[in-house]
Amino acid sequence: MSESLAVADHIEPAGADWLFRIGGAIVALVLFLAAFGPTLAPYNPTLTTPEVSSPPPALADLPRLILTAIVSKNTAPVHWFGTDASGLDIFSRVISAPRIDLTIALVANGLSLLLGISIGLLCGYFRNLGTEIIMRVSDVLQSFPVFISAMILVALGGRSIGNIVIALAALYTPIYIRLTRAEVMGQKVRGYVEAARAIGNGEAMIAIKHVLPNSLTPALIQSSVTVGFAILLTAGLSFVGAGVQPPTPEWGLMISTGANQIVLGEWWPSVFPGIAISITVFGFAVLGNALERRYAAG
Amino acid sequence: MPPADAPLLLEVKGLKVGYPVQRRMVTPIDGLDLTIREREVVGLLGDAGSGKSTAALAMLGLVRPPGRILAGEVRFLGQDLLKLSPEGLRALRGKDLALIVQNPRGALHPMLPVGRQISNAYRAHGAASSKEGWQRAIDLLRNVGINDPERRVHSYAHELSGGMAQRALISMALSSTPRLLIADEPTSGLDVTIQAQFLDEMAATVRGTGSAILLVTQDLGIIANYCDRVVVLHEGRIVESAATREFFIKPQHAYSRQVLSLVRAPATPAKFAADIAPLIEVRDLVKHFSIKGRDKKVQAVDGVSFAIRPGESLGLVGESGSGKTTVGRCLLRLVEPTSGDIRYRGQSIASIKPAELRRFRSKLQIVFQDPYDALNPRYTMEDVIREPLDLHTDLDAIGKRRRIGELLDLVGLDPKRMGEKPRGLGAGALQRLNIARALATGPEFIVLDEPTSVLSPLARVGFIELLARLKKDLGLAYLFISHDLTTVQHVCDRVAVMYLGQIVEVGTTEQVFKRPAHPYAQALLGAHLTADPMHRRVDRPPVNALAGEIPSPIDLPPGCYLASRCRHVTEACRVTPQTLAMHAEGRPVRCMRVLAGEVPIGGSP
Repeated sequence: MSESLAVADHIEPAGADWLFRIGGAIVALVLFLAAFGPTLAPYNPTLTTPEVSSPPPALADLPRLILTAIVSKNTAPVHWFGTDASGLDIFSRVISAPRIDLTIALVANGLSLLLGISIGLLCGYFRNLGTEIIMRVSDVLQSFPVFISAMILVALGGRSIGNIVIALAALYTPIYIRLTRAEVMGQKVRGYVEAARAIGNGEAMIAIKHVLPNSLTPALIQSSVTVGFAILLTAGLSFVGAGVQPPTPEWGLMISTGANQIVLGEWWPSVFPGIAISITVFGFAVLGNALERRYAAG
Repeated sequence: MPPADAPLLLEVKGLKVGYPVQRRMVTPIDGLDLTIREREVVGLLGDAGSGKSTAALAMLGLVRPPGRILAGEVRFLGQDLLKLSPEGLRALRGKDLALIVQNPRGALHPMLPVGRQISNAYRAHGAASSKEGWQRAIDLLRNVGINDPERRVHSYAHELSGGMAQRALISMALSSTPRLLIADEPTSGLDVTIQAQFLDEMAATVRGTGSAILLVTQDLGIIANYCDRVVVLHEGRIVESAATREFFIKPQHAYSRQVLSLVRAPATPAKFAADIAPLIEVRDLVKHFSIKGRDKKVQAVDGVSFAIRPGESLGLVGESGSGKTTVGRCLLRLVEPTSGDIRYRGQSIASIKPAELRRFRSKLQIVFQDPYDALNPRYTMEDVIREPLDLHTDLDAIGKRRRIGELLDLVGLDPKRMGEKPRGLGAGALQRLNIARALATGPEFIVLDEPTSVLSPLARVGFIELLARLKKDLGLAYLFISHDLTTVQHVCDRVAVMYLGQIVEVGTTEQVFKRPAHPYAQALLGAHLTADPMHRRVDRPPVNALAGEIPSPIDLPPGCYLASRCRHVTEACRVTPQTLAMHAEGRPVRCMRVLAGEVPIGGSP
């Protein structure tokens, strides 16, 4: 005959583990495709086939086709997702795209993480006029609409993967600066920092050896979410023509090329890469969320 | 004390509380039996983690989720609380059964005025009108000693000090004159003077209403002064139940004997020749904190001077806000002093450059109040102690490892566990680790900043013994900052009393504890709850108590800082700034009336 008293602070978040697994599985699949996608693709993702604008096989035919594909090795591979107006195999392109998309996203994220954490540590640990100015500059950067600034950066620098990476990195750095700085400001008043000072550490040493390792968690959790959004943004830039060059297999570019055919009833060139983007971004976001629940509190 | 055959009020039998931890049932309370008679004040004593709070809640049929009461019965006024319907329980709770919890401000509703909350509690069990309830709230607040209750009923929780919030809570608990009041460490976190004031008022009020009290506490002083009977909780069971006097004379259980060992054998202070050169000398130390956006200043430390000889321990006592912690920080320049001189072996360290200062770090060390917070959460015990060795010694890897082992052994930790992270250790063991880190470079002087305040009674006893041993074996000098007077009495050779940034009295521990001269020192020591059941505070009216609240350190009065609270105040006190001058008994006191012999020197027992 007991009764609950205070807030239930001991109850485990029941959904967290489940979300963690789904997010983790999706991210693992995307990583796997980035590594082996082009090798596994039945067709070369950048070479056209004679079959132009052929629709994906009907659902009813799928079991038979899967069976034939497993049994006989000699027949030409099926266009699982159909082909586009130029005759490129969409399935091959969808599974080859992670290599481009994920590389851009990971490199951009890594760069901004490195930069953001360093500047965030500096600005959080040493509060003076100089670091205040850095913060205001980063505020201004952050206040631009992400998409527009990326377009301008790429338009100025030209359409290359390198420029897209730089544009994305510049956009995401302020987020990491803020997150790290806030955490550093909380950590630097903790007792262990004063204790480190009392045993004779210099300030730079305390910042790097004691405060930094204890301030990384929020930025690392955020990076999972950021990778997802970087993929979305890369695709978006390609969609408006500011991204990678065709015929590189890239989801945004595929949606963009396929968009013209939608009015003709040919939905497949755009829908499949669209689904791929949604699942990927969802996966990274959910993983980030689960990581946050798991580690941010402790 | 009620007669031994007074009727039973509460009878707990075989109470068992369980919490599911990783699919197993852990039972912090397992087979608890307890009785409380009418009008009896029972102290429930137990160490950290003994299940005191869980037990106190379970007696009201409450458990923090996800725990459950697994077995037992709680008979209160003839009914089993654990079998009552929720409605039946609700009718009892707050009416015949009341609870006061540890964190008073957290227990008050932040968005309702306290008067409304008290009135609601009162009206929940009687059909009183809202106007009557309000009037009752004012009366109750007045009864628990709150000044100006007509104004205070309109206050919100954040506008009250901790002591006042606790008094508001007790007035709420007493609003329906309960038969039994369960108070779960009601004074933890309060200053000694407020604690004594509060407990006096609680005892007086309860005597008036005829309630019984179950007082859950870790403090032997509270037990000795206020309780008729002691029950000792250890590992989920009552291991001892005795009348308070018997308990202090002849404790039965091993735990009780250990906790009482300090009370029974006070330390003997060391004697020092007068001509020894001081190790640490502080002159006119001043620290102002400026307030952002205003040109006013907080005077945290206001002209403090003292000296500590090698191997001596000086206690620095005073209420929160007296500036004692800032003095300790300034001494090691963890906080930069505004002015004044600090000398270590005659060498001034008050204004040397940070790079030069680092050389002195190995000789001057500090141990902080919160042992867990003072350790980098990512470091193992070995890493923690290795850091000062890396900074100040040329030992090779093997030498360092050996030294780490020695240090852990010295403070009573198992060197085999040096690879573990400190997370799983208790506060006592963590504080030992902090000491080991401070000792790593062979210091001569350690600032101990309230090192025992978060320790359980048992851990505290061990820690004080450790400090005494280190002082004797290594010849360490301490500046022992604490508001825990019992601990100060056992560790310190001399004591300095601080009030609002100034030292008001310095003397040997015996002088200050036996014959406090300054009115503030008299009040502080008068509020000290000595663990001596022969001189119970409830049996004699409190003397030397201070009135009113501590003035703000931003707007200090022009004359004596204590003038607004002192019993011996004259018009001259209010306008004359006081200076620390030598008293006839050979110790400095900051009070012109004491120096002139106009105020009797305190004779606390």
